[in-house]
Amino acid sequence: MCGIAGVVSGQPIEDRLYEGIHHLEYRGYDSCGVAFHNQGHIEIRKNVGTVDEVHGKENLRKIASHVGIAHTRWATHGRVTRDNAHPHHSPSGEFVIVHNGIIANYKPLRAGLIEAGGEFVSETDTEVIAHLLEGQYRKLGDVERAWVATLRLLEGSYALAMISVHDRERIYCARHESPLIIGVGSGSNYVGSDFNAFIEYTKNTVILDDGEYGTVTKDSYSVKSLKTGDPVAKTITVVPWDPELSGKSGYPHYMLKEIHEQPQAIRRALHIGEDEIDAVAEMIAAARRVSFMGVGTTYYVAMYGQYIFAELAQTEVAVVSSDEFRHLDLTDENSVVLAVSQSGETYDTIMSLRHAQARGAKTVAIVNVIGSSMARLVDRVILQGSGPEVCVVSTKAGLVQMVLLTRLAIAVGVRRGVVSAVAKREFDDALASLPELIESILNERSGVIRAAAYGHAKKDHWLFLGRGIYYPIALEAALKMKEVTYVHAEGMAAGFLKHGTLSLIDDRFNTLVFVPPAEQANLHVATTSSAEEVKARGGFVLGYTFDRDEDLYDEKVVFPAAHPLVAPFLPLVGAQLLAYFTATALKRNVDKPRSLAKSVTVA
Amino acid sequence: MKALILTGGAGRNLVPFSATRPKASVMVAGGSLLRRSIGHLREAGVTDLTIVTGPNGDKIHRGFGEGSELGVNLSYADQGQPSGIAQAILAAKDRFNPGEYLILVYGDVVTSANPYPQLLQSFNSFTGPIAAVCLPGPPTARYGNVYLSGTRITRIVEKPTEENLGNYVLAGMFVLPTDLFGLVESAGDMEAVFAQLMAKFGLHASIWESGWIDVESPWDILAANQMVMDTWEEARVSRDAVIEGNVTIAGPVHIEGGSHVKSGAVLVGPCYVGRDCYIGNNSLIRNYASIGPESTIGYGVELKNSVLFGRSDIGRLSFVGDSVLGEGVDTGSNTVTINENLDHSPISVDLRGESTRTGLKKLGSFIGDDVKIGASNTLAAGSILEPGTIVPHNATLRGPRD
Repeated sequence: MCGIAGVVSGQPIEDRLYEGIHHLEYRGYDSCGVAFHNQGHIEIRKNVGTVDEVHGKENLRKIASHVGIAHTRWATHGRVTRDNAHPHHSPSGEFVIVHNGIIANYKPLRAGLIEAGGEFVSETDTEVIAHLLEGQYRKLGDVERAWVATLRLLEGSYALAMISVHDRERIYCARHESPLIIGVGSGSNYVGSDFNAFIEYTKNTVILDDGEYGTVTKDSYSVKSLKTGDPVAKTITVVPWDPELSGKSGYPHYMLKEIHEQPQAIRRALHIGEDEIDAVAEMIAAARRVSFMGVGTTYYVAMYGQYIFAELAQTEVAVVSSDEFRHLDLTDENSVVLAVSQSGETYDTIMSLRHAQARGAKTVAIVNVIGSSMARLVDRVILQGSGPEVCVVSTKAGLVQMVLLTRLAIAVGVRRGVVSAVAKREFDDALASLPELIESILNERSGVIRAAAYGHAKKDHWLFLGRGIYYPIALEAALKMKEVTYVHAEGMAAGFLKHGTLSLIDDRFNTLVFVPPAEQANLHVATTSSAEEVKARGGFVLGYTFDRDEDLYDEKVVFPAAHPLVAPFLPLVGAQLLAYFTATALKRNVDKPRSLAKSVTVA
Repeated sequence: MKALILTGGAGRNLVPFSATRPKASVMVAGGSLLRRSIGHLREAGVTDLTIVTGPNGDKIHRGFGEGSELGVNLSYADQGQPSGIAQAILAAKDRFNPGEYLILVYGDVVTSANPYPQLLQSFNSFTGPIAAVCLPGPPTARYGNVYLSGTRITRIVEKPTEENLGNYVLAGMFVLPTDLFGLVESAGDMEAVFAQLMAKFGLHASIWESGWIDVESPWDILAANQMVMDTWEEARVSRDAVIEGNVTIAGPVHIEGGSHVKSGAVLVGPCYVGRDCYIGNNSLIRNYASIGPESTIGYGVELKNSVLFGRSDIGRLSFVGDSVLGEGVDTGSNTVTINENLDHSPISVDLRGESTRTGLKKLGSFIGDDVKIGASNTLAAGSILEPGTIVPHNATLRGPRD
């Protein structure tokens, strides 16, 4: 997702482009830039970083020009570099473009342009549009006709804004499957990805529909159909609006938004190239000692990795919480240390990585934030591309990290000869089925989980039990519950229960049991017998199960049948929802629980 | 942005109230459903409202007029005899300009907080058609399931399987383009309209997580009243109310101007006393009692979890619990609403000749507008009294279980 802003005004732009992309930062913030007319040419200022960081380097404010466009970017693929940042210009610099979306046919278009002698500065699909536009202008001699001819060549999704030295009065814009609107002010008009782009200046907007393009001057606008070229009648929509909700895209909380974004985030993680995964697998397969580390959610993610590596790759992995790593660090030059972090800025993890590096270990990190300290520090990084995670309580980032560790385990297993080609295909298919399975939980189990959450919101204690790979799931689920609801929840290996904790169980104590599918017979039987131990002491048991006929539990949520490789993800999503709905039932501050910070960058 | 509020539905299950008033003028927590919706829209900056009315729509028209008292501009369109949402929408077709977006509101929905800022924010994010969706609480077969992919609505399943009940449903609030009217004309019913919206424009969901109740059955009024009152956090007494000595006020009690609370009365919140009411000596007004304007509560009356629409006279030493009383209902002294079965089994209600399970262990009576009940009457749990009924003194009304 990226954000677009543009201003055409009778007055100097001053800070309006800066303000526009600043308000759009929730759509992405790894690089940004502005472009505006300056003495006969178009000046572009762009760089890598947040809007404020780029302003510090390039000065995005106090712009004297009257017409300009701006962009803030969140790369899901490809690198974050100054060259790849928007705006992009045509070879002569006469046309400058910002773009949100993906041009599906950019490869053949780019190949054609290169064949004709074109040279590209960036790796983006956007620059292709700028080249095409300049070519069309040379042929047609008219900016609007060239704009239309160019748009007709494009397939895929786009929201575009463009300025040209051949028409200094206008911003040209277009929409197809990515949002774009025009803001109608007095003496100034605007374009933007959404109302945030110009919210301080006008609430009057004209909404472009798919397949429409527009031209905007300081005191007029026109919208036409790309197909017919005919003007489209547009009415101004006045949008009353609450800045507090900006960025939640229709969700009540970022936490629910991010839970619902998981299918898409997993799809993106499955598109990360095999070569990128295999490069890390090669390091791990060659190492004598392998350690995974994280802290909080990412510690449990690492622990999940430990189980999946034992199972698939037959590789022993030491898992250490980042804050304890230094006290246990026996790594050497034959070691690989893999760290997991959403922000890539976690203080304990960075310190531990440095410690390991000093002892000669090779380091790897799985991180979500491109360009973060950790991404720069380690020998190899896997960027998970999950999009911004705003809620302090991690959901999608952690889940995607688990998917990536699964992919790594398969790759190491292949290298070690313990995962056959047939088995790899089976595992890949299982992973590919995961997004849809999670969607079915969100669509078909949210109701029953919410009813359970509201029904038990007043309980003071939860015990979350799991065995095998469901043990780290239980731990992570309990952490979700604690963080966001402030209700005491303890994750525990189910076999551990009778060695002490069982004495806590009475009718005031709720237990959630993560029951594996029946086809994993040993694990299944052992887990259900733990549930029976709790029931025998009068404890309430909520079963997260795959078996609709099991009547052992006081209440149950039945998850859809799934391959054992991906089955553990499903009750974890169910546990995220249980924590979320319990928090809303208790009216907690869901996105910013008390005492917690998103990224712990201190010791 | 303008809004279109539909209030013309027949409300066939909302007996005995729908015979004399539109659903939207049912009262909860001291205000009608419609007044609440209009207030929320106004707070969100939406002030140009068209209300589609059906039978008894003049009640709304007379009550709200041009809307100046509420700070909005109201206009009305009459749908005549109700025959579905599609027909209701078409009744307002000429009030909107092509190329516009409008907010569409089903008038029988109650939310615990203002849903429109979030709905408009969703519209801001997608600048395309938006439908509010929510999880309706305990699983019910009343609604179809909405399927989401991210926020995109991919399909609406009208008859979900047993284990899929209670998932996301349409919450009765939308932001839609005026193309809606054309779609309704060509498609005919709402199911087809939504399918076409999804196919042609894409339909995005705005997920509503706070309280939501679709008032369909008479006991939904009690649930909605509770839901709204649960959001009250403080007591509020008008400066124009008279509170005599030795009155106890505990918890969030709201008392409007012109009311007179006599000595010895105990009010335990959340509860509501509308304007110009008289609360008699030694009465007990406790949790979730909502007394509409111009009512008289006699000496020693106990009221709990009940909604009185207004202009009622409750005779001395009566008990009204878990009941809904329409406007102008009078009871003689010593009237008792029985509100539970002796074996504590859930109470059934006779809805249009059919015994309907409510699942509620405590439920009193539903008494239509302008019913007059004589002294010393006992009303069985789950009784329904049609509007205008006159019950003589000393009669015992039998319920469906007797």
